[in-house]
Amino acid sequence: MSDLLTCTNITKRFGGLVAIDDVSFSIQKGETLGFIGPNGAGKSTMVNVMSGYLKTDAGKIVLDSVDITTMPPHKRVHQGLARTYQIPRPFPELTALMSVITASLCGKDRKNQSFEDAAGDATHYLEFVGLFSKRNILARDLTFFELRMLELARALATTPKVLFIDEVMAGLNPGEASSAVKMVVKAKEQFDLTIFWIEHVMAVLVEAADRIVAIHYGQKIAEGTPDEVVNNDTVIEAYLGKGWRNYA
Amino acid sequence: MVDIEIKRDRIVIRWKGKKWDWMIEPRYWRNSIYWTIALILFPALAYFFSPGLVNTMVSANIYAAIAIPLALMTVGTGRINFGPNFYVGVGGYVAALLSIHMGLSPWLTLPLAVLMSAFFALLFSPLVIMAKGLYYVLLTLLLPLVFLEITFIYTGLFKGDVGLFGIELLFDLGGAKLNFLAAAYVSAAIMVLFLLITNKILKSRYGLIMAAINDDEEVAHGIGVNINKVKVLTFVGASAMIGVMGWFMAHYFGTFSGITYLPMTYMLKILLVFMVGGRAQVFGCVAGGYFVAFLEEFLIRVMGDFQAVAFPIILLILLFVLPRGEGLFGLYRKRHYREYMPQIHVRR
Repeated sequence: MSDLLTCTNITKRFGGLVAIDDVSFSIQKGETLGFIGPNGAGKSTMVNVMSGYLKTDAGKIVLDSVDITTMPPHKRVHQGLARTYQIPRPFPELTALMSVITASLCGKDRKNQSFEDAAGDATHYLEFVGLFSKRNILARDLTFFELRMLELARALATTPKVLFIDEVMAGLNPGEASSAVKMVVKAKEQFDLTIFWIEHVMAVLVEAADRIVAIHYGQKIAEGTPDEVVNNDTVIEAYLGKGWRNYA
Repeated sequence: MVDIEIKRDRIVIRWKGKKWDWMIEPRYWRNSIYWTIALILFPALAYFFSPGLVNTMVSANIYAAIAIPLALMTVGTGRINFGPNFYVGVGGYVAALLSIHMGLSPWLTLPLAVLMSAFFALLFSPLVIMAKGLYYVLLTLLLPLVFLEITFIYTGLFKGDVGLFGIELLFDLGGAKLNFLAAAYVSAAIMVLFLLITNKILKSRYGLIMAAINDDEEVAHGIGVNINKVKVLTFVGASAMIGVMGWFMAHYFGTFSGITYLPMTYMLKILLVFMVGGRAQVFGCVAGGYFVAFLEEFLIRVMGDFQAVAFPIILLILLFVLPRGEGLFGLYRKRHYREYMPQIHVRR
């Protein structure tokens, strides 16, 4: 396995606050990399930096041997990087089908793709996530779970190499959450994706991830297989506090 | 025998196993032939019955032709430009000055007016990238007012106090009434051309991309849309289209003065056309343009001076009364989900 995406010494400061402090890791082709940390650890900042919404103060991001550190978001998408949002951000006035068509049209620089091609393409992705019957409904009228799935379809329609998933389970009930997780796993198999998965719920990542990176206060505290990370003292300390052994 | 059945929305005619439908509800009159015939017949009829109405029609066409590019710009940049009349001023002054000082014919001043409007739009296009929400509104609002000041400061060139006159007319058919008639057709042609171009753009893939930008700029950027390119191109293109109307007005009236087009009152009228017709709907702009121009004319005839007070109040009330902010066009359009219905967002 080779490194698909490499982040080297990423640092991001907001004024005096160091949100990400010298974090380095790499994602290998075809794996699912879990990314965990307590509240405010800098997980979402990391995704924003990697997808180009925030500029890094230092460090380097390389995707498939292309340096994307200074690229604007849309060029990173063309390079094969897609993301979903923690709180779904659909296009409220577009129908489900239209928003996926937009993603299909713009996701890559396809010179010969007509509008109809994109529509056919989009239909496939909508069917995949189970929204085909809702294709002509405005996104603002969809339920929360359907919005999640719409976002996944929109991200898949850009034909990414790496998919960033920002808390797929947040705000879903247990039944919906498990089908959302299954959908992500299915998408990974069908579309040959590499997944960078941020999650609060440890149990999901232990099941689904191949490797996990844990951060705390913007610093990487652990990296390894799920079992190693879950049993790592520093990680437990970050979640539960220093005196956790007294109560264990 | 011929069998005629009248239903709620249509008349059904049956004869020997054949069937014809005739829609009676106006919202189903989708056939553009009706409207084209109305557009062609109206000035010709008004010419004989009430020539003043021809002039009203010209101003209606001008309002609509300024509001249509503004609608395109609003959707494509995701922001409301509060100074569309700046480009009317630029186009008009370029046409007027070139015609007076260099004796250029209207057909030569047209491309120059368009180019100059596009140039100024390009100069101010960083606004659509940098400024958002209230700041964008304030900055665009300021542009025509600053230009108005400049016409007064450099009054030797711009004649801010008396206005420029002696501009070569677009056509001279020998008689004011005939000129009005010709202007009505030319302005209607420009308006319809703008309507078709804008509608074509909005219905194409670029329209979809613009819709995505209007809904959520950041997310559009995050699915691979080059938002800055789209926004700047829309801004420049639409501004150039508005500049054409400045050119038309300069050559139609033969005079041009900034004080008529650059102050807030004219800008408000354009924005009301744009809102009353239906939020950022291109066809709504035509409905709004005609409604506003004819209401203004009607109120002047009925109320006299009190019109200046009543007119904006009536329009503002209409904004609240008309269906769900969809404006006049909302009464007519068929509602179906596939269609993109732009919502105007003012972002922080």
